[in-house]
Amino acid sequence: MFIMCYKKWTIYFLFFLSLTTSFTEKIYAQDRQPSMRVALTGKYPPFSYYDKDGELAGFDVDISREIGKYLNRDVEIIAAEWDGILAGLLANKYDAIIGSMAITPERAKAVNFSLPYYQSGAQLFVHRDNPSKIYGINECNDKKIAAVLGETYQRYLDEKYPNIDVVTLKSSVEIFELLEAKRIQGFVSDRLVGSWQIKSADRPFVPVGPMLYAEDIAIPVRKQDKKLLEQINNALMQMRSDGTMQKIHDKYFGLSSKTADIGSQMSQSVIIKKLAKGFIVTLSIAFASLLIGFVLAIPCGLILNQSTGKWKLLYWPVRTIIDFLRGTPVLIQLLFAWMGLGLSPYVAAIGTLGINSMAYMAEVIRSGLMSVDPGQTRAGRALNLSKVQIFRFVVWPQAFRVAIPSIMNSIVALTKDTALVAVISVAEVIREAQAIISVTFEPSKYYFIVAVMFFVITFPLMKMAGVLEKKIRQKGFVQ
Amino acid sequence: MIEIHDLSYKYPGSKVNALHDINVKLPPEHVFAILGHSGSGKTTLLNCIAQFLRPTIGKVTIDGQNIATIDKKTIHSIVGVVFQKLNLFPHLTVMKNMTLAPINALGIPEKQAQKSAMEMLEKLSIADLAQRYPLQISGGQAQRVAIARALMLQPRYMLLDEPTSALDSQTTSDFAEWLTELQEETCFIIVTHDLPFAQQVASHGIFLQDGVMKTEGNIQEIIDQQTASV
Ligand SMILES: Nc1ncnc2c1ncn2[C@@H]1O[C@H](COP(=O)(O)OP(=O)(O)OP(=O)(O)O)[C@@H](O)[C@H]1O
Ligand SMILES: [Mg+2]
Repeated sequence: MFIMCYKKWTIYFLFFLSLTTSFTEKIYAQDRQPSMRVALTGKYPPFSYYDKDGELAGFDVDISREIGKYLNRDVEIIAAEWDGILAGLLANKYDAIIGSMAITPERAKAVNFSLPYYQSGAQLFVHRDNPSKIYGINECNDKKIAAVLGETYQRYLDEKYPNIDVVTLKSSVEIFELLEAKRIQGFVSDRLVGSWQIKSADRPFVPVGPMLYAEDIAIPVRKQDKKLLEQINNALMQMRSDGTMQKIHDKYFGLSSKTADIGSQMSQSVIIKKLAKGFIVTLSIAFASLLIGFVLAIPCGLILNQSTGKWKLLYWPVRTIIDFLRGTPVLIQLLFAWMGLGLSPYVAAIGTLGINSMAYMAEVIRSGLMSVDPGQTRAGRALNLSKVQIFRFVVWPQAFRVAIPSIMNSIVALTKDTALVAVISVAEVIREAQAIISVTFEPSKYYFIVAVMFFVITFPLMKMAGVLEKKIRQKGFVQ
Repeated sequence: MIEIHDLSYKYPGSKVNALHDINVKLPPEHVFAILGHSGSGKTTLLNCIAQFLRPTIGKVTIDGQNIATIDKKTIHSIVGVVFQKLNLFPHLTVMKNMTLAPINALGIPEKQAQKSAMEMLEKLSIADLAQRYPLQISGGQAQRVAIARALMLQPRYMLLDEPTSALDSQTTSDFAEWLTELQEETCFIIVTHDLPFAQQVASHGIFLQDGVMKTEGNIQEIIDQQTASV
């Protein structure tokens, strides 16, 4: 029965996969050369964001497309998390990052940077009301000043202004929310982004003081990709001399900016579609992982139940693997599978979560098997049943009934764990929500909606676990 | 005929023999009783006969063949066992409990297995329990179901460990009655410390004390000897 379910499911899942890979968009259909894979976050408007159709757009996206034209290559744009964006480049997940990355000596050790494609700088912004009376960076001592985790501003503030209470947050959207609520006193960000945000989202922020320093924004590629670097540099020089660069710049930062308030432009139907698509991916990943986990958990649970006897050689390896899986953070395992083993995000997600649920369910099945009276096996033997028959008809049905409530709880836990795979750039529901938030600036609304979506799935499962547990107790399988 | 030759059994890790140098012939034409006080080794002897324990010394033979050389797959259609704890399968109905082995171990078609199970239940006057689960029937009824389940394999010998432990005196004598009826097809070996019951059903037996066979022979003689020695 399981095999049949599995086959059917595989087809569904492959179908979902093909639906959801649309976040990597392909430009220019000609297949002259392998397409250039370009990474950016999609959460750094106006440089990268999701437009009203839910497609990636922005200054960096336009630059990428133009470079692709000059290189005569298709461009595949990949949304990646800023935290791991360089590691992803080194792990060959993509060929270049066109994501507003500043040149730093430290980064330059790991990758080669192109010529700068624009210059910006660190700027301090505060609330228009300015309750703390801050007029420059030197007045920020002991004040809460925010920067995005992993961006250059954070290091810079920590080193140059040790007396500032630097708050690091995952995205600029979160920073804007906090400053609007006056829970922080200011933030340091890119001058262009800050100014653009204030204008387009009608945020009550103002820049104060001069730029802290100027930054060269460039395109990193892997050290060994010398030819690609040269091609990108040539493209950038041409774009500068033929006016393309200026055109793109004016589109976003010129006085007659047409894309000024992209924030409110994402339509309701696109938002619903994005959330639904993300949730289907979430559920597919949960379902696939559970299936893999459950199928693997049965033999593992059997082995764990017998530290002596025929299978004892397997006991310690299985025990160790399961303890290791249960004793290490799932997030690390995910990153290891994705970065370390170089698996694709979906394979890494399903593999890691599947093996994890195997570890938890194996324990559950082991305790289920342990709860079956050994007299049952003896009775089976006394009735001439074979070992396999005794397991199949006598021991397993009882063990499984005992294990069902705990298995349901594992299902709930795993469904929640799928939230983690957003980190390895799987386009599941939380990542979609983040993309929506990056243009709508409504984190509380969309994070709450996503929480409710999860709850709608997990709540019946939890209730069912309770009911089944009661039933099983009544039937007398458990004392 | 089951014969026990020079049999001793010592539990692993134990210092003393649970059974010591047992020699006895179990004549097939009678109900045979293994008597003794609690802890005297009755269950141990039964497990040695049923191949759940391997004798430390000595052997058990059936019709001259060493029981250890009989195929493990068929041994229990020759020697059936009903445990002290019964061990009915709690997740299966009475009917399923009875047909599981015939269908899967003997390969009898389901319909036919159900038919003969029904006949068996009728014989033991518990046919109305067929669709109940073991936890929904009384101790005495469960006892009968356990015996019926073992009889489904039509063993030549049937070992019963303390079959009357869950029964009151009325059901015990009912049980004694139909045991006498069943005796034509199957030869019963009954482990018990219930002397009146043994007297009622068995003709021959042995009396164990601390793992040693104290007396052997006619059941009446054994009981007289026992009551005299108290
Ligand atoms: N698994 C075991 N390991 C070690 N010693 C055991 C084991 N099972 C039984 N014994 C010991 O062997 C002896 C005989 O036990 P056995 O179960 O055969 O007694 P019994 O005559 O069936 O008693 P009862 O009437 O209480 O069922 C006892 O002293 C008991 O403690
Ligand atoms: Mg006993």
